[in-house]
Order: sequence, then structure tokens, then C-alpha cells
Amino acid sequence: MIVVRQKPVEEICSMVARHRNVLLVGCNTCAAVALAGGEKEVDTLIELLKLTMRRKGETTEFSGCVLQRQCEPEFIEHLDDRVYDAILSLGCGAGVALLSESADKPVYPALDTLFIGASQGFASWRAECSACGKCVLGQTAGICPVTRCAKGILNGPCGGVNNGQCELGDRPCAWVEIYDRLETLERPEDFKEIIQPKDNSVKTTYNKLDLSGEGGAR
Amino acid sequence: MNTPRVQEEVGSSTGKLFAPCRAACPVHINVPGYITAIGEGRFTDALETVLERNPLPSVCGRVCLRPCEEGCRRCQLDQPVAIASLKRAAADHGAYPAVLRPRRRPESVAIVGGGPAGLSAAHDLAELGLGVTIFESKPKLGGMLRYGIPNYRLPDEALDRDIDHILEYGIEVETGVKVGTDIAMDELRERFDAVLVTAGLQASRPLPIPGSDLPGVLTALPFLADSACGEDVELAESVIVIGGGNVAMDVARTARRQGAKRVDLICLESAQEMPASDEEIAEAELEGVRIHCSWGPREVLGEDKVMGLRVTRCTSVFDVDKRFSPTFNEDNVQEFYGGTVIFAIGQGADVADLGLPLTQRGAIDVDPLSLTAGSDRCYAAGDVVSGPTKVIDAIAAGKRAAALIYRDLTGVSDIIDELDEEHAVLSKVPDAMGQKLETRRRVEMERVEFYDAVKNFDEVELGYTEYEAAREAQRCLSCTTGARLTREKCAACLTCMRVCPHGAPSGEVGGYLYFDADLCHACGACASQCPAHAIQLEGCNDAELQRRVDRCLFNPELDTTLAFVCGYTPDLLDVIGEKARIISVPCLLRVSEAAVLDALQSGAHRVVFSGCNENMCRFPNAMPLVAARVARIKSLHTEIGMEDAFDVSGEEPAEVAAQGEGVAEGGAAS
Amino acid sequence: MSLRDAFESGRFVVTSEVGPPKGTDVAEMLETAELLRGRVDALNVTDNQAAVMRLCTLAACVHLVNAGHEPVYQVTCRDRNRLAIQSDILGAASFGIANVLALTGDHVVVGDHPEAKAVFDLESVQLLEVIETLTKGTDFAGKELHGTPELYVGAVVTPDAVPVKPQLAKFEKKIEAGARYFQTQAVYDPESFKSFMELARHFDVKVLAGIVVLRSARMASFMNRNIPGITVPDALIAELEASEDPTRTGIEIAARFINDVRDVCDGVHIMAVGAEHLVPEVLEAAGLAQEVSA
Repeated sequence: MIVVRQKPVEEICSMVARHRNVLLVGCNTCAAVALAGGEKEVDTLIELLKLTMRRKGETTEFSGCVLQRQCEPEFIEHLDDRVYDAILSLGCGAGVALLSESADKPVYPALDTLFIGASQGFASWRAECSACGKCVLGQTAGICPVTRCAKGILNGPCGGVNNGQCELGDRPCAWVEIYDRLETLERPEDFKEIIQPKDNSVKTTYNKLDLSGEGGAR
Repeated sequence: MNTPRVQEEVGSSTGKLFAPCRAACPVHINVPGYITAIGEGRFTDALETVLERNPLPSVCGRVCLRPCEEGCRRCQLDQPVAIASLKRAAADHGAYPAVLRPRRRPESVAIVGGGPAGLSAAHDLAELGLGVTIFESKPKLGGMLRYGIPNYRLPDEALDRDIDHILEYGIEVETGVKVGTDIAMDELRERFDAVLVTAGLQASRPLPIPGSDLPGVLTALPFLADSACGEDVELAESVIVIGGGNVAMDVARTARRQGAKRVDLICLESAQEMPASDEEIAEAELEGVRIHCSWGPREVLGEDKVMGLRVTRCTSVFDVDKRFSPTFNEDNVQEFYGGTVIFAIGQGADVADLGLPLTQRGAIDVDPLSLTAGSDRCYAAGDVVSGPTKVIDAIAAGKRAAALIYRDLTGVSDIIDELDEEHAVLSKVPDAMGQKLETRRRVEMERVEFYDAVKNFDEVELGYTEYEAAREAQRCLSCTTGARLTREKCAACLTCMRVCPHGAPSGEVGGYLYFDADLCHACGACASQCPAHAIQLEGCNDAELQRRVDRCLFNPELDTTLAFVCGYTPDLLDVIGEKARIISVPCLLRVSEAAVLDALQSGAHRVVFSGCNENMCRFPNAMPLVAARVARIKSLHTEIGMEDAFDVSGEEPAEVAAQGEGVAEGGAAS
Repeated sequence: MSLRDAFESGRFVVTSEVGPPKGTDVAEMLETAELLRGRVDALNVTDNQAAVMRLCTLAACVHLVNAGHEPVYQVTCRDRNRLAIQSDILGAASFGIANVLALTGDHVVVGDHPEAKAVFDLESVQLLEVIETLTKGTDFAGKELHGTPELYVGAVVTPDAVPVKPQLAKFEKKIEAGARYFQTQAVYDPESFKSFMELARHFDVKVLAGIVVLRSARMASFMNRNIPGITVPDALIAELEASEDPTRTGIEIAARFINDVRDVCDGVHIMAVGAEHLVPEVLEAAGLAQEVSA
């Protein structure tokens, strides 16, 4: 899923300050699961913005709703935003973008989109994939070095590894983990294969994906 | 694996799920509902909840034989919650709601007999808009509640509170009128669309043994009735009571209060077989009643007045088929001496004058499904049909009769359908869950000492104070008041699964998330974290809290502090200051970030969380979640420059601190 | 004599390093180089060392070449993508810079521009392959070069890394990718270093033992705590603590280490870390001063 986090209130306020009636739109898919964009957070942010604006002497009004998924045109279609002069999206970047496309008013992001991640238990996620377009997980025992290594390097730990920890001190060394897991899987020889520099062109090629055409649709 | 009990959102078609206490109650009072309210100090709300199902809360709070408590899931951990005493607390400390009289319907019903069955039926019918008139042969309403149960157990004031509330529905009452004698059944049939006979059991007779017609031989009901009316009944110094049921205990204890120096109670049954409740027996003994089991009366001794009673040893009461068939050892004879003998060996119906079909035992013979007796539009219910039962059974019978009459007169079957609706019942507390729950002893109710109790007819049990009631209510495991999932809103984030201490939410069945109600004790951790607002709790949920905040912040002052207090931590006024307006919640997790921010906009100058305390917390996962919430709220307030608007009072209340000191001292000494 | 020739002569090789200035004034750097002239076989020029922005390595190398020194051009992957790195290496070769040391580089987060975008389009193993490709006359995309660089390529290894196995596995990958010689991270325990060398001797590569001269017990403890892959044994810290002249003791420790390992490795790389003036003293104490200049 896409992991997101709410922006600082001041930043959000500065975006919506010049409007008089703002609709907060939550997203009940990734953003809700990331505990940042569901109905609960929409409600909380509305109260927070009301309070902040009132203290600033502004009269901006805030209402809220939640879409099942903001990155789907059909879900957005049903959004009735006529009385509002701005939208504040509690979705990921994709949601903000699609909302902006269909709205005839400014759409602002209330969240920062952080990474593609997996749950680590209650209220905790870890980045697991960088959507690089060329998956190497098959060679790295399922641990993504592009994502989990701070430098995203592909051929083993750098000299900064410190007791199995990354030199940045905020995570275990992905390459030590990869090495250990390859050993556990009795595939240590996989480590020896030199992984070539990444084909970054796929990131450019796949700025869109359309399977609807002839031969493409599944 | 057993199919788990799934708590769906309210209004789903899967039927009702009752906590065992509620299921065991013949009128299915929403027990967890009112106990939760008391736990939060909302006595009026609690009383309203009881009144939804039982129009006699003040009565049942005192004299109900409490089938509910046998069902209480707390029995597995320690002792059942004092459900009946809490009902009394609701009636003692809550305010009876003002009655909104419904629009009057054209139908009218006569009710013969103003005891618990009749009063309940009258209440329900009048609430539905039917015209109701109660005919009562005695000078006052109440039946056995007034004339049978002694005042030291059920004072008139307590009974009158319930009756006054019932009568507010606009019920007509004709007392001192004996139907069948003063007014004919046929006349009632003519004047009313339906007649309901709830005459109870009024006949009380002695055993047909020699001497039973001697002066000084009394029967239970007249004796109790006279005593209840405050009359001094002439008794000898030594009184012999015959009977082993609760009525016999009432008679014996009443005899002590009427001045008998010595009371011997003779019963056929062995100590184990006695039908009276254990508590009644124990209290009678404490009040000086001497109980002699397994003796059968043979003769009341005396020439022209009672001198005593001869008994023989009863060797067994029931035969192999559990039928009443006593056997005696006639060689084992004993004589008890006393100037008064009171028979308390059961009551019978006294309805021959009504002209209704009777059973062999003399009870009214009704069709069990329709409760009609003989003709259309003539119904009977309660003890006059079933023989002696508990008060709460009579109430249930009255309510059932009312529902049937309503259906028959109006053609609307909603009420009876609701009464008959099937319900599932929560299972026992699973072991794994039980191990995580703390044990807590029942809060003892203050009562008059026994040597003082026998001096008068004042009520013996003094009732819980509000504080004691809240503490006792907090022992409730809040069965069935927990999480309700709205599937359409669920984002399947599984957060609920991760924060539930008992594993109630699970994703195993059919790929959907579901909640196993057996494992939920309404701590609210899941609802507090649900990002989609897909989980609501039955008890104190967001909407309820909003109402309470609005009420609490009515007409705020410039410096009003609103304190959300954990209802499970004792008196915190010292900690949060007297000026604070306080809302007590089952757990601070019920108070969302949005609720705090909203309160600040609704007039609170400052919001305080108070009472989240490790020593008092009864929810396994709650403390870290509250801490996280506090941190979030603080950071939000810091972000918007309102650090001072939210605070946590973390001090331990004096009571807990004192306990802690005691432990520390003990440790030092050893 | 070029570094390659020095290695191939079979004698004990000594290298050291200089850091480019933050700014355009290269006088101090050249002074340091001068201090080491004739005493070392080559001078490493660091590449925005520790992710702290400095004058570019290529320019610094050019200054050294112009002054008649033998520089080792350190190339990290942190700041440039594969285009920039290739073009810089070609540029260096065009100035006659023949020695390249391939490193991944410290993360920007640890340096003085922590908000910079960390590039890491390549890392050390891939960089070695890229250089190898250049030396064969094509760029990494397979296009022919006009003028092929002749490069002597080195890499680094941390023999005391924890855990060491993935590090050694990567060491082998670097050899496969074209590394001809290695400089190690600073090492202090001769026995541990010797066991590393037993493994290294299975491959056709030269190895320089990394030396950082200890100047106090505090410095030793600091490195143990803060620099990954460096372990100063407790006995040495105690020795420094007991010493009345810790700098002198540090020099002796370095000299002793060099003598302990000189039979198992091909030379030493002395990292002065701001005390280049000590390098000649270490060499003298180790009896190496004569050899190099000869």
C-alpha cells in the first residue's frame, strides 16, 4: 500500500487560508489504512482547522467526506463539491492529482506521500518497494536493496555497516539481511552474481500503463 | 471450532445477541446497558434503560430473586455483579423520567388485581395509548408487593415511587372493589374491550391437622398484610412458623418485629431442600429465627388456645419421580411450645367468584398461547394462572398479556413479536480472556445490624451510595456492549486486530473482518483507533459523548475546564480542581482527538485528561494507547500554538497512593 | 615510478592521502603533498570526504600532477550518475591521472549537505565494471571511445566489518569487477588482519593495510564507537592511556603494526586525518623511509 503522513498543520493552513469554504476529502483505501486519511482523520483535521482558523480570526468553513478510493474517476464522479471553493485531499499524491483533474477549483494535499510499504503491526509500516520498474527481489531473497538500503546499492553492504546496522543508524543494513537470508535459504552463491546498474529508463517509459488496447487487455 | 458469535451493526437481520444476564431475566432488561450507565455515574440514563423493560425498578432492585446474577459472566472470575442492587441504585439516585402520554386510542382494558402482573400490564397498555382501569380489592395498589412482602424488605415509599410513575400514564384505579362481589365480571366485559385478571394468590390456609382451628393459629397472608398496614398483631412470646419458603421466612422475621421473643420455624424439607433463598434463610437465622428442618406438623397442641405443636420426623419429601410425597417416621416425635402458630405453607387462588374456568388446583385455566380464559377478550396472567412464582415472572406475565391484548384489540403484533424474538446468548468467558481480566470483589452494601433490624420494620438494606454503585457497576464485563462493525465503512486496515487485547476481531471467517462478541469486553481500543469510523461501541460512543459534552458545556464560563475522567479511578476532584466540569468515561480512549478539539470550540477553555492510572486500569492494552493519544493531542495543540489548552493530570488519586504507601511500608518492614 | 610499477616491483608500497580544500586555495594541500614527496608511492585525493563538500577531486589531482606527484583519484558514486562519473574519469585520464580508487561513498545524510539528493546511480562494484569497460575502449553504453584511458584501479575493503562475511563476499565481487589492488579500512590487530590476508592471498590482488595513527586513547575510543569497521583493541587503548607522550606512542603502535604485517601484505596506506606531519615519523619508526625514496 501507499504510506502517507499528514502535513504540518501550519502548511495546510497556509494553503487553505485564502478560501472561505473548504471540503476535506478522505480516502478509504491506502490513506485510511495508513491511519492518515480515513473518516477519523478527516474529522480530526476539520476540528483542528476550525480551531486554528477561528484563533486567527478567519471565518473559513470546513466540511468533510470520504471516498472509497480517490484514484478512481468513478468514485470521484459522485463527489458533490459545488458549494466549496477549495478541496483539501487526504489522499496520496495520485488522489490529489485525479481530484484536481476533475475539480474546477484548487485541490490541496493534506498529506505527504511517503512510500510503498507493508505493515509492521499496529500503526507501523516499513518501505518495501520503490516502484523502480525492474524488480531484483528474486536475486535478493525478497529484501529490496533499492528501498531498504539507504544508498539503494545493488552488490552488497557498503563499508558503513556497523554491527549489522546501516551507517545512518536508523535501520538494519539491508545487505546484511539479504546475505543472512540467502544463507538461510542455502543460496549464498546468489550473492556472488554482480547485479548490473539499474535500467532507470523504465521509470521514464512507464509514466503510464494502458492495457486496454488490442492485445494488451488481459 | 465453534462458529463465533458475530456482533453486527445495529439493525442487522441476524437477530439479537444477549448477555447471559439479560437472557436470564424474564423481561430481558438491558442489564449491560444500565450497568454501564451507572458505571459512568449516569443514574437517570440507567433508570430509563431499566424502565424500557421493567416498570417496577425500585421494587425489583430490592426483592427480585435475581436470575440475572446467576447468568453473570463475572461468576467465572469471582462473584456476579450485584445487578439487582444496582437497579435499586438507579431508582434511588436517578430521576424517573417525565411521562409523555401517548395519543389515546379508543380501546379500553379492565385489569383485575393491582399486583406486579397487573401493574406491568397496565403500564404497557397505557404506554401504548389504551385506556386502562385497574380494579383492586385492597385499599391500595401493589398486591403482594404491598401486603405480602414486609416493609423491612420493600418499604411503601419504594413501591409507591414505581406505582406513581406507572400511574402517570393516565391509568384509572378503583380500589376497594372486589370483582365478582362488588362488580360482576360481565359488567366489566361490557364496559371494556378486554378484561385481564391478574388477581394473584390471595388464599392462605392452615394444614388440616387437629387443633388448626384453635385461637392463636394464623395464616401467612393476613398476618403479613396486617403487619404491612402497620397494625400490631397480637402474638405470644413464642411463635411457631410452619413452612420453608421465602414467605415463611418473611413471616418469621415479621413475627420477630411484632415482638415475638422466640420464633421456631418448622419445615418439612431438609436444609438442602428448603425452597427459600439462601440469603433469606441466613438473614432469618441472624435475626434469631430457629429453623428446624425435616419435621412434619401433626397436631396443634392446646385446649382452648394454642400451647404448641407436635411434629414427627420427615424422612423424605419427594418420591423418585420428584413428586411431592412426604414419608414420616412416626416414632420420632417432638413437641415445640409456643402460643401462636402461623401457617406459611403456600398460597392459592381465590377467584371462584369470577366465573372463569379453573384448573384442578383452583388456578384460572387459560389457553397458553393466547392467555385467554374461557371467552374472547378475557385474559388472565400471573400467579393466578401459574401458581407461585417470582415477582419478575409476574411482571413478565403481565407484559406478555398486555402485548397479546394489544395485538388482539389493534391487530398490531409488533410488541408481541418483539417479546417473542429469538436471541442468541453470549458464551462463557474464554479462558485466555479470563486470565487477562483482574478479579475484583463485590462492593458490600451497608445494612442495619441484625440486632437493630428486628426492633422495627425499617428497611434493612440501605442501598448503595452513588459512589459505591459506580464502583460495583464497574465490575461489569460490559458483555455485548462492545464493538459493532459497519462493514461498508471498513477499510480492512486490521488495526482493530492489532490493538484488541483478547483477539475479538479476526479476519478468518469468509475473508471478512468480524468481531467475536464472546471475546469483547468493550474496552474500546479498536473503535478508538479505527481510521474509518467503522467501529462503534454500544455504550459510550462518539454520538453519546458528543451529547454529554454539549450538555456539560452548556453556558460555559471564560475559564471553564472540561475534564474527561476515567470512570474507573476514584474521586479525582482534588487532582483536577473543583471548577472543572467533569465527564466520566469508561476509558479515556473513548475521547477522540476530534472530541477534544471540538470541546475547545464549544466553549471549554481547557481540556484535561485525568485518571489514566496503571493501578486502576482494567483494560490490558489501554494505557499505551491512551499515552499515544495524549501525545498526539499534545502535538496537535503545540502545532497550532495552544499547548496550554490541553493537559493531563497524571497524579494518582489519594486512595491509590495510600495503597501504594502501605505496600511500600510493608516491604520495608519485611 | 607509477603506483602500478611500485606494486609490480614487489617492494613494500606506501601510500597516503591529501584532502582538497573547501575553497579554491590549494596551497596547503600542495604543502602537505610536498611534505610527503619521496616518502610515499602515491597520494590519494579524497572525493568530498565524509560527504562534506570540497574542491573537486579531479582539479586537485591535476594540481598534484602538475606539481609532479602521483595521485590516486578517488571516485565515489554519491554525487554523480554514470554519465558524470565516466566523463570525469576520462577527463582525469586526459591529464595523465592513471590511478582510480572506486568507492560507493558516504551517504549525504552524514555530511554537510544532508538534504542533497544522494545519487548512487552506481555503487563500487558497478563502478569498477564501468571503469573496466572504459579501459577496454568503450563507454558503459557500448559506444567506442576516441582515446582509451589506461587506468590502474583500486578499491577498498573493511576487514573488521561486523558482520564480516557479506563484506568479504563483496570483496570478491570487486575483484571480479576489476579491482587490481585494495586499501583496507584502518586495522590494528595484526592477527585479525593476517587471517584476512590469508583469504585475500587466494586472489591476484595487491593489498595495502590501512593505517590511522592514533594520537590519544580518547581518539581510539571515539573511533571504536563512531567509525564502523574500526576496532582498536583494548590493550592499545590502555597503552595510550598509560603513555606520557601519546602521540609518540601512537606512532610506535603504527610502526609496530607495519612491521608485524609487512610480510603478509603488499604495503600500507596511511590515512593522516589532519596530521600529515606524522606520516614521515611513522615511516621512519617503521624503517620504511629509505625504501620508498630509493
